[in-house]
Amino acid sequence: MVSLSRKPSTHPLAPVIERIEAGGALLPDTPDNVTEVVGILKSYGMVLDAYWRNLTYIAEHQFLVLFPFFKYFNGEVTLNKLLRHWWHDRINYEFAEYCMKAMFWHGGGGLDSYLDSAEFQQHAAAAIQAKLRRNPLMQGLNAAFQGFLPEQIRLLSYYSVLGQFWNVMSRMFLDLSDRYDRGEIQSIADVVEHVRQGLVDAAAQPITYAVKIDGQPYDIIPKSAGLTFLADAAVPYVETVFFRSFPFFGTVSYNAQAHQISPDQAQFNYGALFADPLPIGSAGIPPTLLMQDMTHFLPDYLRAIYLKELRQEDDLRVKICLSFQKSMFCVTTAAILGLMPHPLTTADPEQHRVNRAYLEGWMDRLLQSRLVSVQAD
Amino acid sequence: MLSILIWAPILGVVLVCLPQLSTERVRQVALTVATLVLLWTLVLLVQFNPGSAEQQFQESLRWIETLGLTYQLGVDGLSMPLVAINSLLTWIAVYSSDPQINRSRFYYALILLLGSAVAGAFLAQNLLLFFLFYELELIPLYLLIAIWGGSRRGYAATKFLIYTAVSGVLILAAFFGLSLLSGTASFDYEVLRSQTLPLATQLVLLVTLLIGFGIKIPIVPLHTWLPDAHVEAPTQASVLLAGVLLKLGTYGLLRFGLGLFPAAWQVVAPWLALLAVVNVLYGSFVAIAQTDMKKIVAYSSVGHMGYVLLAIAAATPLSLLGSVAQMISHGLISGLLFLLVGVVYAKTGTRDITVLQGLLNPERGLPLIGSLMVVGVMASAGIPGMVGFIAEFIVYRGSFPIFPVQTLLCMVGTGLTAVYFLILINRSFFGRLPDSLARLPRVRWQDRMPSIVVTLLIIALGLQPNWMVRWSEVTTTTLGLTLAATPVNQVIAQQALLSTTIAPAATSEQPVSALSLD
Repeated sequence: MVSLSRKPSTHPLAPVIERIEAGGALLPDTPDNVTEVVGILKSYGMVLDAYWRNLTYIAEHQFLVLFPFFKYFNGEVTLNKLLRHWWHDRINYEFAEYCMKAMFWHGGGGLDSYLDSAEFQQHAAAAIQAKLRRNPLMQGLNAAFQGFLPEQIRLLSYYSVLGQFWNVMSRMFLDLSDRYDRGEIQSIADVVEHVRQGLVDAAAQPITYAVKIDGQPYDIIPKSAGLTFLADAAVPYVETVFFRSFPFFGTVSYNAQAHQISPDQAQFNYGALFADPLPIGSAGIPPTLLMQDMTHFLPDYLRAIYLKELRQEDDLRVKICLSFQKSMFCVTTAAILGLMPHPLTTADPEQHRVNRAYLEGWMDRLLQSRLVSVQAD
Repeated sequence: MLSILIWAPILGVVLVCLPQLSTERVRQVALTVATLVLLWTLVLLVQFNPGSAEQQFQESLRWIETLGLTYQLGVDGLSMPLVAINSLLTWIAVYSSDPQINRSRFYYALILLLGSAVAGAFLAQNLLLFFLFYELELIPLYLLIAIWGGSRRGYAATKFLIYTAVSGVLILAAFFGLSLLSGTASFDYEVLRSQTLPLATQLVLLVTLLIGFGIKIPIVPLHTWLPDAHVEAPTQASVLLAGVLLKLGTYGLLRFGLGLFPAAWQVVAPWLALLAVVNVLYGSFVAIAQTDMKKIVAYSSVGHMGYVLLAIAAATPLSLLGSVAQMISHGLISGLLFLLVGVVYAKTGTRDITVLQGLLNPERGLPLIGSLMVVGVMASAGIPGMVGFIAEFIVYRGSFPIFPVQTLLCMVGTGLTAVYFLILINRSFFGRLPDSLARLPRVRWQDRMPSIVVTLLIIALGLQPNWMVRWSEVTTTTLGLTLAATPVNQVIAQQALLSTTIAPAATSEQPVSALSLD
């Protein structure tokens, strides 16, 4: 008997849908892909570790500092570090801020709603009052521009939330690398499962944010706000950074005044899964900063693979970007699987039909992404 | 001293042909010889007296006296810069050659032989000796195109050989005619220079010489061999062809046409200026229509040699200085452009600007090569700060009083240069690098170094033009004033005065020192 539920998909990305339904991932399962993905996630984990520490430092220790000249120094300002900073021998924390601002701009999840709530206003007002207690100038400015400092605190909230999200993710990626080194990760499905399990484990972890002013703690996002890791940090992050992002100069050629940029942010598709790896290195392209940071932490086996290619180190950042996109398709697969309406192994035709429709919905969004390219690479 | 420039490369030819040498050693020997020649040229430059218009470092050796052939060498302000360019570009040709090139022994021998022959032609003070060297350079260049050239190398090499052989025959005929009709039975340049022939005789001989050298320059419509030769020639041959070999034509006109037939020159000069305009405009318009990078650069050469022609036709002290400056400038700029096109072709496998795109991509394209190409085309288009601007400016400034309309038309060519080169740059280097070009081989420093060296020279001479013109200023001034003193010139000058209302004092009679650039 032919089951209608098993009817082949007519979607342009039907092979990918069928692969996921069979327990695979968006990325084809090849030994090279496994090595590339694990290797790049290791370096990404190292970079994320630095990013989250700095984001958290800014959120907690640069709270309402209007001119945070040394915000990238994590509290350790020395001449040597300053010289290295100017020489650009450092981690590009600006990239973390780009991601944070993208999340802030696109919103989504419970955090966005919370930051517009009266409860947040109340918490923010208390913190502002405490911070400005001995600063009459700022008190005057705050009275004149009442929306400015609360908006700064909203921004700082995103610093904190992204910091917490990346804290989990960096540990997850470094753990993945350790498991790979122990021989426990041997396929793309293993990678996806590791990430999926990590997301599930952290899903309910509360997202909170508090600052200390004169030794006194002030809640900005209390636990009672009910924000959690998966729904309020991970999902908005994936939506923002993987899919929407910003139309950065250089990554796409556009004329906003000619309405080449959609006024509907939901239509944005400038995220990591859509980024063109080739323009990397041009002026003003933030993803370059991430690729540059990852060059410092590449595991030897991945560097050896890159050096075998024609250009060796010359196009290292493009190669990293290509590998990074592959790894992000694995993370996206984990997110897709984590949010599946029904188990993949379901025998119920209706549940299977719903799952199929769900997957086809994702594929519609990924049609213009680099998904097709990574199938062949 | 000068013989070293000729015989050291010949010795190099002998050395690289030694069967004991390995392929790697052959390259090292060729590079060593080319380096020594370049260093020796620098020594000569240091010892050269720019304040003298006379031939310097003269050497003379009896050879076949019955034929009037003597081994007589000398260098003056006209030839010294060209000798220097020849030594530099020969070194660059050897350095930039692929170390894995097939039949390397023969290849390097031909490059060295070519350098030697061209140096000999610039240094020869005997007309027959010049002719021998002029003919000698055909052989290595023919073989370089025919063996290491592109798919239509046979056709291009044969065409080159036929055209330039005819050129040689005409030049020889003019030299023989001059020797016989002057009754001296000598081919000594200084001896023949002192002879005076009737104007009609001078005209016949000069026109013969003009056609001969016109093929080499090349003057439209005698140019058709050049684009074919350039397109099919290996990069190094193109560099030498555009950089120095074309200059043999303009140098020949300057040295022998202007130097030996000053009265007749005044008669043909307006026609020559007209041909210069045709060269500039035709070369530029045809370049605009091309899609092959090398053809664009080749036709730009046709156009830019028109500036030299215009300057020689005007024959004022300043324009003659400009002609030498333009020869140096074009030698460097066209050499750079051919080097860069060569790298693009070697890495991408095509020169088609409808296929190439986004090569300035910083990671996977050819960013440094592309940047140098932008500098090169800016120099060619006469952007201030580079040698192209100063050379063209001197040419225009020197030629305008004599041929104002022709000069203005040639200035249009400068604008057209920007058009065709911007088309090249815009199509090939800007935009997104297509996926088909995203896996280009690595560019080695050996590929970049020659272009960087030439680019630095282009900028240095653009910022400090005195380093370029100081060698020639006295010689060209003397030549220009000598020409101005001829009776025919006075007639022409008076006619020009009536028609253009420009005072003679500001034209041919004005000492170049009054117009000095520094």
